[in-house]
Amino acid sequence: MIDGVHIQVEGLRVRYGEKEVIHDLSFSADRGEFVAIVGKSGSGKSTLLHALAGFIESQGKILMPGDVGMVFQNYAVFPWLTVRGNLAFGLHGSNAHQRDEIVARLLEMTGLAEEAKKYPAQISGGQAQRVALGRALATDPEVILMDEPFGALDMYTREKMQSWLLDIWEKEHKTVLFVTHNIEEALFLSDRVLVFGQGKILREYPVSLPRPRVESLKFEGNFIELKRQIVETMERA
Amino acid sequence: MLTKNQKQSLTRFLRMATSIVLFLVAWEIVSRLGLVHPSLFPPPSRVFLALIEMARTGELARDVRASLWRAALGFVFGGAAGIAIGLLTGRLKKVDNYLSPLIQLFRPLPPVAIIPLVIVWFGIGEVSKVFSIAFAVFFPVWINAHLGACEVPLTFLWSAQTLGVKNVRLLWKVIFPAALPFAVAGLRTGVSLAFIMVFVSELAGASAGIGYQISVSYLAYRVDRMMAALAVLGLFGAGADFLLTRLAWLAFPWLKLAAQR
Repeated sequence: MIDGVHIQVEGLRVRYGEKEVIHDLSFSADRGEFVAIVGKSGSGKSTLLHALAGFIESQGKILMPGDVGMVFQNYAVFPWLTVRGNLAFGLHGSNAHQRDEIVARLLEMTGLAEEAKKYPAQISGGQAQRVALGRALATDPEVILMDEPFGALDMYTREKMQSWLLDIWEKEHKTVLFVTHNIEEALFLSDRVLVFGQGKILREYPVSLPRPRVESLKFEGNFIELKRQIVETMERA
Repeated sequence: MLTKNQKQSLTRFLRMATSIVLFLVAWEIVSRLGLVHPSLFPPPSRVFLALIEMARTGELARDVRASLWRAALGFVFGGAAGIAIGLLTGRLKKVDNYLSPLIQLFRPLPPVAIIPLVIVWFGIGEVSKVFSIAFAVFFPVWINAHLGACEVPLTFLWSAQTLGVKNVRLLWKVIFPAALPFAVAGLRTGVSLAFIMVFVSELAGASAGIGYQISVSYLAYRVDRMMAALAVLGLFGAGADFLLTRLAWLAFPWLKLAAQR
């Protein structure tokens, strides 16, 4: 792998029966880079993440660290565990003291210390998604794969969650692959946007917007211009 | 001052009590009208007196103890086997291929039909009764646990995979709790079947039990005692379902939250 490159994918192909849904796809991501993958609904962008995580069979070369955290759109927090139980779920290799320390840190990070004893059915969607991200970060993975994590949230909560995610990312600096169909979200969060369509990457857009990012950025000229270009690329597809 | 929840519970209880009281009053009136001989259709007041008599002689306690013990043992064995095998057939393709066709062959058999065979195998004692009850309980619990295990959301399994949870730990920490709402639904069907089977198996031969009491009361032409025993059986059947649900909620509080959603 080239120095600094954390994820390298070459000639990736995924088939569902006779149909090939990802064709000869190649891209890379640097260590600590936040890469967003945007595409229309049903374009196969989630399939790409599932292939990278090893959930489904694929052909081609995938070079990435073995420890990967995953966050799904439907949260996938376990309803039978409390917030604390969910956060501690992956910590079966740690002793009780380490586990308590990590969970306390994650509760603070997610702002859910007061909800620690609650079950997912007793918290909001935004809080459940924070639990899901906290759980994914518990084992300190090098890479986080996020599959439309805010897709089920209302606009207000979604925006709050985006800012919260950026805060976490600034501190943890994990390599993130973030799949979304929301172009604004992709631009607001990422260092680079890969436009995905027809089973391949159509084009990539570096996002050189300053960090830390604030909501007002979404109304600035270069943000709007980038958004227009991405929309055009997606529409042409 | 009652809270809103307490008020709702009280209203629900009063509605249930009203329907039962109205039923008993209607029964008492119809019976006392004399349209049918009171020996054939005794009023609830006489059934209640018969129940008191059974309680005073100690028969009631003996029969209830015997029946509940058989029902509980059969339920535990059948339920535990149903859940364990259901989880395995639901998740492991090979186990499913080997076992499910066999289970499906036995599943349509009316549990009552196996009683003569079970008596030939195990005699008329406790083993045959407990086996018959466990046999009846097994199938609804198995099919529910099997379906529950089949339908564990992929995202749960994938999340566990990325967090390094697999094999037995995955079965215990993810698949079992994810399938639990289904398994509890199966257990609720199973508890009703346990009470049906305890009655039937005691009719086939017993020296104590509610089914036995109904059988001897029939021979003595004591319809009031038959009805009293039937009422006891019904009460314990309904009580067992109530208790099962509450125990499940107590052991797994999240099930109650899921049920309330």
